[in-house]
Amino acid sequence: MQADSHPQASSSHYASGPVTKAPNWHALVAWDTMFNGMATGLFVVASVGELARPDIFTHVVTLAYPAALLLLFADLTCLVLDLGDPLRFHHMLRVFKPSSPMSLGVWCITIFSLFATAVALLTLLPIPDGPGLQWARRLVIGIGLVPALLAAIYKGVLYSTSSQPLWKDARWLGGYLTASTLVLGCAEMLLLATFLGSPEAVNMLRHALVVLLLLGSAPLAPFCWEVRKDLARMNRGKLSRAGLLSIGVGVLLPLCLLLAGSQVSLELCAALLVLVGGFVTRLEIVMAPHALS
Amino acid sequence: MATAETRLAETPQTGEMPPAGGSPSLLNRLLKPFRRGVPPAPRRATGFYTDTTVCIGCKACEVACKQWNQLPADGLEWTGNSYDNTGALSATSWRHVKFIEQFPLDGSAAAADPEGPERDGARLSLDLLPDVPTPGRWLMMSDVCKHCATAPCQQACPTGALLHTEFTNVYIQPDICNGCAYCIASCPFGVITRASFDGHAHKCTLCYDRQRDGLVPACAKACPTQSIQFGPIDELRQRAQQRVEELHKRGVPSAYLYGDKPTAQYSPLHSFYLLIDSPSVYGLPENPVNPWVHMLGDYARSVVSALVMIAALLIVLYLGSH
Repeated sequence: MQADSHPQASSSHYASGPVTKAPNWHALVAWDTMFNGMATGLFVVASVGELARPDIFTHVVTLAYPAALLLLFADLTCLVLDLGDPLRFHHMLRVFKPSSPMSLGVWCITIFSLFATAVALLTLLPIPDGPGLQWARRLVIGIGLVPALLAAIYKGVLYSTSSQPLWKDARWLGGYLTASTLVLGCAEMLLLATFLGSPEAVNMLRHALVVLLLLGSAPLAPFCWEVRKDLARMNRGKLSRAGLLSIGVGVLLPLCLLLAGSQVSLELCAALLVLVGGFVTRLEIVMAPHALS
Repeated sequence: MATAETRLAETPQTGEMPPAGGSPSLLNRLLKPFRRGVPPAPRRATGFYTDTTVCIGCKACEVACKQWNQLPADGLEWTGNSYDNTGALSATSWRHVKFIEQFPLDGSAAAADPEGPERDGARLSLDLLPDVPTPGRWLMMSDVCKHCATAPCQQACPTGALLHTEFTNVYIQPDICNGCAYCIASCPFGVITRASFDGHAHKCTLCYDRQRDGLVPACAKACPTQSIQFGPIDELRQRAQQRVEELHKRGVPSAYLYGDKPTAQYSPLHSFYLLIDSPSVYGLPENPVNPWVHMLGDYARSVVSALVMIAALLIVLYLGSH
């Protein structure tokens, strides 16, 4: 679509401005992204933990599944309130369009909410013990992992499948946010295990969080490389603070605290810092098109 | 307006009225969006061809569009950008005339009028235009929704509000849209906006209502120079190609068509343009990319990330017991 060169005498006002429009997504969508990560991450880590090591995590998941459900309600509330017409939120279920990340995400969250509710009820309600019921419970948890994972995965792909500056070039944004979701889930499980006084679970989750923090940072490098020009365009002062909070507070500091030793206060601080860093990262990602336009 | 159009405008809207009362109204509100009608039979694809070389910047298209679609006024805010005080396409401005002034910024103008207005660090005098040695020019263009053959906004829409009509134009069903704004994020041309007055996305409908009654869209009807031409898209492309060839013969080698043909990363546009400068000069993307080109790869990377993290978690959980 290129023209033959014309000796352009002056710049165009339109050439220097942005072509695209930033969507009306602000802090509420950042919170939605955070709650989505916390709910799905917690459910996935709790499920994997219970299915793999029921001897260690059965006690922790009594709090984990209901907490995941509450976080999911918070996520859905943010999603509905962010709509231009919240009373039409149910229109999202009018079509099933897997080619649209948002449609796929809505359906996955809807299906996941059914499983999350079922598992939370199975956890909270007094259900008689029996091998059949235990297997049924494991089956529900296992199947529920699929929509939970998809609900975790769709968010980053939604952002990168757009025309917005920074997002449109970020091929690893989905990979990074998905990994970050599992890091958040592990941090939340650590908080719950500490609160419930399950030392075996705490010890295991501390090691898991160290490994996941390191692995979860791996997609960050290609992501930052892909969007380096847009990152450079964003305000340097703000970027330094955001980068410091995201990586320093959200990854490096918790790693140091976790490796420093096995103390409740250090573990609690590390888990909370992971959550803070996770939110700051999500806020910066959501607000990037506004900063760049 | 012609008599036929006057009568049409006075015709009351037909359609079901929602039942009175609280509960029936709520039920209707919940169920109505899920009802499906019979889609109309496909018809010949229509669109716009805009010849920017004959646009005079009169803004009749903006006025006609606002009048026909009963769009509210946007107020008056001086943008300082030539005669463009609309600023951009929006939920209440579905046509936007752009003015691009291209005049020399060399020393000749600066020396002649040192007290003239400053622009881009050099002084540019508007009083001395006739005497400026190198003539400048003024580009004008009526921007509108591109009605892409494969529209990212339509691909994005999770409610099915955005669809292609029987004329292959992109249309937002105003009773379905819930204002999620994903179409806004997806559009590479910055066309769609969410209205503050109802929270829904709005854009050019290519006068779907007028087309269904056999009429020409309001903007094309109003355009005094036939810069905006409406008709079957294949005919428009032929006409546009002939115009380009004519301009080339008449000493405008920079004339070309933007959006008439598909590229490697984007479909053709059903509202395409004849331009004589780079697309970016007109505020158009040089090489638009359909975001869906990358979607599957993005999903794959996310799935791999998830599986690697879960595998690592399982390894730690099993190693922990030993």
